[in-house]
Amino acid sequence: MQWLRADLHVHSLLSPCAAVEMTPRNIIRNAVAAGVDVVAITDHNAGDNVAAALRAAVGSGVTVLPGMEVQTREEVHLLTLFEKMRDFVVWCDFVKQHRSSLQNDERKFGAQFVVDESDELVRIEPAMLLASTDLSVQQVAEQVHSLGGLVIAAHVDRPAYSLISQLGFIPPELRLDAVEFSKNADGASAQRRIGLIGDLPVIHSSDAHTIEDFVTGPKTMFHVESPTLAEMRQALEAGNGRRIQR
Amino acid sequence: MLMSEVIKELELTVLADTGDMNMPVTGGYVSDLLSHVMGQAQAGQVWITMQGHQNIIAVASLVGLSAVVVAGGIEPEQQTIAKAKEQEVILCKTSLSVYEAAGRLYRLSL
Repeated sequence: MQWLRADLHVHSLLSPCAAVEMTPRNIIRNAVAAGVDVVAITDHNAGDNVAAALRAAVGSGVTVLPGMEVQTREEVHLLTLFEKMRDFVVWCDFVKQHRSSLQNDERKFGAQFVVDESDELVRIEPAMLLASTDLSVQQVAEQVHSLGGLVIAAHVDRPAYSLISQLGFIPPELRLDAVEFSKNADGASAQRRIGLIGDLPVIHSSDAHTIEDFVTGPKTMFHVESPTLAEMRQALEAGNGRRIQR
Repeated sequence: MLMSEVIKELELTVLADTGDMNMPVTGGYVSDLLSHVMGQAQAGQVWITMQGHQNIIAVASLVGLSAVVVAGGIEPEQQTIAKAKEQEVILCKTSLSVYEAAGRLYRLSL
């Protein structure tokens, strides 16, 4: 068993709000330097830079988890994480069919770059990624779980785009694997939400949009056998000797 | 003014009517952030929103609202309608925008 330092919420330059320095190669290089063992690339409503991150991480010792931060029709942000690229590709296609038909306005929101593992530009994504899909929180949870993925309610301490701000409380029928607190979560606001969170595991991640955020932002420690999603799921459930520590 | 009269004046489509139609309406409230509705809305108000998730019914019930109006042509989920009937919360929908629905409600001098 080993302790792994994980950041399960990192934006690449595909997210219009992220800095262009957030290339897969640069994220991996900084993960190595900062001692981050597991990185989930989680862009808004898309996953086109995940494959490049997986290739950039080969031989680095850093494990990349395919992920996406999806925005539901209730304007809730959910982190979705996968083990296998095969399942993630199915999820990406599914989300694409449920995205808004709006086009991105680069001047207002920023450009959405798809790059390769050497930082070379592949294309610019024209679709508006910063908008709600027409999927409900329930539909997202069901679809992701059917593909073997994890669903984590993002930044539940924040006043916008969080499951708690949008829906007041966590719907009892919604199956979540964890909730995430943002880097801004102060003790008081976190405490206030404990009652709303119940027994759900709490993770911290950077929600990085810049390298500075990524290097300095919060992480979660996972006590696991190996850096796989199956192991991390057990750690969230505190099963078989696995556990997490913030 | 009674809820039944508000429904008539705003030409609302009633989706769940097991609640009390003769409850006096005391005013209106507008927000799509349920966390704020829980803290700010007052009992007896009509709440206009574009959220169709079933949590709106629990919030309405908690606050003691007269009714929930889902505006902007949004179709509330089936579970939301079922929960409204079960918890005796009046649930309506309208193709009017939130702005228009709130404006009409305000003109009723509530």
